[in-house]
Parts: sequence; structure tokens; C-alpha cells
Amino acid sequence: MKRDRLAEVLAYANVRAASLLVPYANRGGWRAEWNAEIYHLCHDAGTEFCESPAPGPLEFSRGAFPDAFLLRRDDVRTHGLPGVQPGSAGRCALMLASLAAAAVVLCFILPGARHALLPLHLTSITDLVSIEPAGNAGAESPGISLQEYLEWRTDTEKLFSELAWYHPAVKNVVLARGRSTRLSIGIASANFLRLMRVPIADDAAPLAEPVLVLTRPVWQSLNHSKERMADRFADIDGQSVRIVLLPDDEDQLPNNMQAWLLVDQATLQALPAHARGFAFARIRSSAFPAPRAGVRIMFETHYGVTHVFDCVSVSWLEWQPASNFLFALLLACLALPATTALPLGEYPRYRGRMVFSITARRWAFLVIKLLLLIAVVYLATGSLAWGPAWGGSTSVFLQVIAAFPLLLFGFRWCLQDQRRRCPECLRRLSSPARVGQASCNFLSWNGTELFCVRGHGLLHIPELPTSWFSTQRWLCLDSSWRCLFPDGCAPSPEMV
Amino acid sequence: MPADARLSHTAAMILQAIHAGHIYGFSVMQMTGLPSGTVYPAMRRLERDGLIVSKWEQQSIANAEQRPPRKYYRVTRAGKTTLEAAWERYPLLEKMIPTPEVERA
Repeated sequence: MKRDRLAEVLAYANVRAASLLVPYANRGGWRAEWNAEIYHLCHDAGTEFCESPAPGPLEFSRGAFPDAFLLRRDDVRTHGLPGVQPGSAGRCALMLASLAAAAVVLCFILPGARHALLPLHLTSITDLVSIEPAGNAGAESPGISLQEYLEWRTDTEKLFSELAWYHPAVKNVVLARGRSTRLSIGIASANFLRLMRVPIADDAAPLAEPVLVLTRPVWQSLNHSKERMADRFADIDGQSVRIVLLPDDEDQLPNNMQAWLLVDQATLQALPAHARGFAFARIRSSAFPAPRAGVRIMFETHYGVTHVFDCVSVSWLEWQPASNFLFALLLACLALPATTALPLGEYPRYRGRMVFSITARRWAFLVIKLLLLIAVVYLATGSLAWGPAWGGSTSVFLQVIAAFPLLLFGFRWCLQDQRRRCPECLRRLSSPARVGQASCNFLSWNGTELFCVRGHGLLHIPELPTSWFSTQRWLCLDSSWRCLFPDGCAPSPEMV
Repeated sequence: MPADARLSHTAAMILQAIHAGHIYGFSVMQMTGLPSGTVYPAMRRLERDGLIVSKWEQQSIANAEQRPPRKYYRVTRAGKTTLEAAWERYPLLEKMIPTPEVERA
């Protein structure tokens, strides 16, 4: 007996699962028919005309799937895909998801944006700082001279456990068989990659000759092949250099250089003393007080003149686009109530129809819209600000200036769109009609009325908010009204 | 669907079963021996083509018997014409699922 009951319950569950395939307009009636058949199969199968043995309820319910599939296929052939029907919630979500996908593609096309918005692959960056002249945090132009670096190597041992420097330059690299190409190269101190915790072959060994470190994509673009790198040499400014490849996942070093030329101290000192570059260091935790907004201040007095430098935490720089965006998001949230009304209207419980699942679906749709919008704006404004390599404060300014209005008007659109949707099927309401007269407003109302094409109800929007009609109101209609509406004529047991 | 449209043997069997008074999907299944995954989709197609129509049983009748209402089907005029064409094509159809004499008269 218990087994029969279990089979019946599983059969109902099967039908319920299959009903998800059935177009929404037909779902209620379709499920009612299958449920009624299962009921009769389980409770009075013996009274039926019996030419063949009755199937079990589970076996019977399996037929619901091909039936549901057929209905869905016919519906798709007639009306197109369910997600792209005009005014549907799926179409709206699909549109936003497409925009988000386009923004992701844009972000990947622009290397500057990709490096700024996606986290660096560097490990152990909590004590890693970039040293820059005061006020130039995140600047793209080099600010530390070779002379300063060389002095700091001995003067700042108490502050930094390691210090490295590189000078960006564009060099002609002559490869095998006389092929040459111009690359943007960082001429770096020998310990640069060790400081960055990027392992390469022979990193710890003394430099017998300069090492040119290439990212694998750059090497492949140069050679148009994936041949092995062992014992490869190139020529830069008449000097032979050994080529080493970075590991695949370590191609996101600062400043998006194409290659790094690791040279010993003597070669570095051959550069002009005023050559400017970027300095990075590992700070000693005891040397600096806790960072404030990721920036520590370093003073240097030289012949009575004090110079101020910012030691900017790399982990802080890494999160700068996200923190800028969060700031713009906060501003937009604060400004939103000043630009549009926040309430979504009154949705009264009416004959038990506004059940939990409908309310939850309505809120889920709003949340999905907002999340997709935030993702689109973050990626699009990030690409705009960091993609063309403006650098430094220009990028920060651009990102905030672009993100704030887009978020503000985007949120406004989300709320307005939500108010103009049927709370039950989430389709856009249609056919706005003017109702009432402005001169006859006493205990009455005038405004706009919209309806759901499936006949779920009417939306009343007052022209002038009054004490008895302050916000828009949703009027639920029961299923007996549905035949009056264009898409509401699906038969169901309630309508007989 | 035109009246002389040719039905498959399965569709003709289902149409014949409905014509013979097996007006619920489950009773059509039992009469024809076809699985539910064949009968219900076929009935949807027949209804879409206007050969049968469906109607819900009155809620009051179902309430009186304390069971859910059922959806029942009947053959339309076009369906009857198509079925007569099917009888000529499948002579054993009537013998497999005999039509009550009242209906034939």
C-alpha cells in the first residue's frame, strides 16, 4: 500500500517536473489534466474499460515528458523562443546578459582593462610596495631615477628587505636568422623577478649574461610556433642576451611590458644616472606604521632638501578599480532617492494568489537586473578608464565620472521597469489608458491604467498622489476575466 | 486539416477510440494499448488540426464525487469525415475498436 502511495506521489512529481517544459499559458490546464488522469488511474482504474492492463502511475507519468515537449515545440514554432518574446522578463534579462557579455569581450580585447580589472597573478603581495614621488600613486610614467635607486640600495636597508628597479625602454631585438622586432622592454635589476616572486629558470644563479624574459604569447607571436626555448639567444644593442620564458600564468607583471631584461649591477650603472624608472620593494613590517589607504610615506633628506615619496601597496593598487567603482556605486545609491521614487507600488494579497513563489520571483528578477546592470557598468567603465592606458588619476577620474551617471540612470530604469511589469508573469504591462478627470478628484482618482495581456490584473497609477491613493496600485483579476485579454485564453479547469 | 487528409494508423486508432466513446486520455490508452507518451501528444495534434475538441468536466460534478475534474474529448464533424476516410484505408479499424451501434445509427 505504501509502495502504491509512493508511486502516486512520484508520478505527480514527474508531471510537475514535465510541466516546466509546457508554455506558461497552458501549464495550469495541462497539469490539471495529467493530475486528474493519474488520480483516476490510481483510484478507480478498475472501473475503466479495460482492453489492456493498466500501466503503473510511474510508467504512465513518463508520457508527460514527450507531451510537454511537443507543446513547447509547437509554441516555439508559433511564437519563437520563450525568452525573446517582446516584453517578457527573459528578454529583458537576456538583453542585459548580452550587454554584460559584450562588456567582458571588450575588457578582454583591451589589455590595459584586462590587467586592471582582473587581479594580478602575483603572489605574496601584502608587503610589496611601489615607490613613487609623492602624489603620483598609480602613475604610468616613471618617477624614480637610477641615482635614487642606487642610493636607496644601501640607505634603506632598515625599511626594505628587498629593492628592485626597472627602466622602461623600446629596444630592437634581433632574433635567430636575422629577424628583428621592436619590443617594449623593462631593463631591470637582476633581483626584479625574485622580488615579484615570479620563478624563472636560473633566477638565483649569478648572471653570466643578461637574460631577456619574455611572456609566452609574445614569444609565440614572434616565432609563429610553439618551439622549445632552450638555449635561445637574441641580440640587443649588439649585446647577446639569453631568452627565458615566463611561466604561462605569470604574464601579468606591472605596466604590461612585453619583455624584461635582467642585467647585473655593472650594466645597470652604465645607464645615465638621471634615467627614470619604477622602483618596487618588500617592506619590513617593523619599519612602517600600518598603511593608510594603502599608502605609506617615506622622507629622504638630501643635502638639506627633503623629498617625499609614496610607498603604495601593490595590493591596494590591484583593488583600485574595484574600490573606485564601489565609491561610484555608493554615490549613485545616495543620489537615487533624489531622482526617482523608491517604492515599487502596492501589491495586495488578493484571493491568495500573491503566494510566496510569485513574490520571490518578482524580487529575484529585480535583483538579477540590478546585478547584471552593475556588472555591465563595472566592465564597461573599467574598459573605458583603464583600456586606453590613460593611467593614474586620469583613469580613476574617468572611471568614477562614467560609472556614477550610468549607475544612477541604470538603477532608475530598473525601478521604473519593475513598476511597469505584471507581478505575476513579469511581462511588461501594455495599453496605457487615461482614466478619470483631474477636476473630479475628490475621493476618486485620475491617472493611467495599464493591463497585463495575460489578464492577471490592472495597474492604476495616480496622476496626483493623494492621501487615499498615494502610490500605484495593482488590482488582481481572477481567471474568469482572462478570456477578455489577448494572451489569457488558455483553458483551465477553473474556467468551466 | 482537409477532410480527406490521411491519418497514420496510430492517429486513426486514437480517433476511432474517441469516436467509440473512450473520451478520456487514459481510457484511450487502455483501449488502444498505446503508451501515454504516444496517446496524449497525438490527441494534442488531433485537437490542433480540429479533428477532436476537448472540454473540462463541470467542477460541480467532480466535487460531488470528491475527485478532480477530467478533461474529455469528442470527435468533431471534420474528424468524423476524416475517420470515415480512415475506415476505407484501414478496414480492420472498426473491428479492433467497434463503434457502439447507437453512434453508427
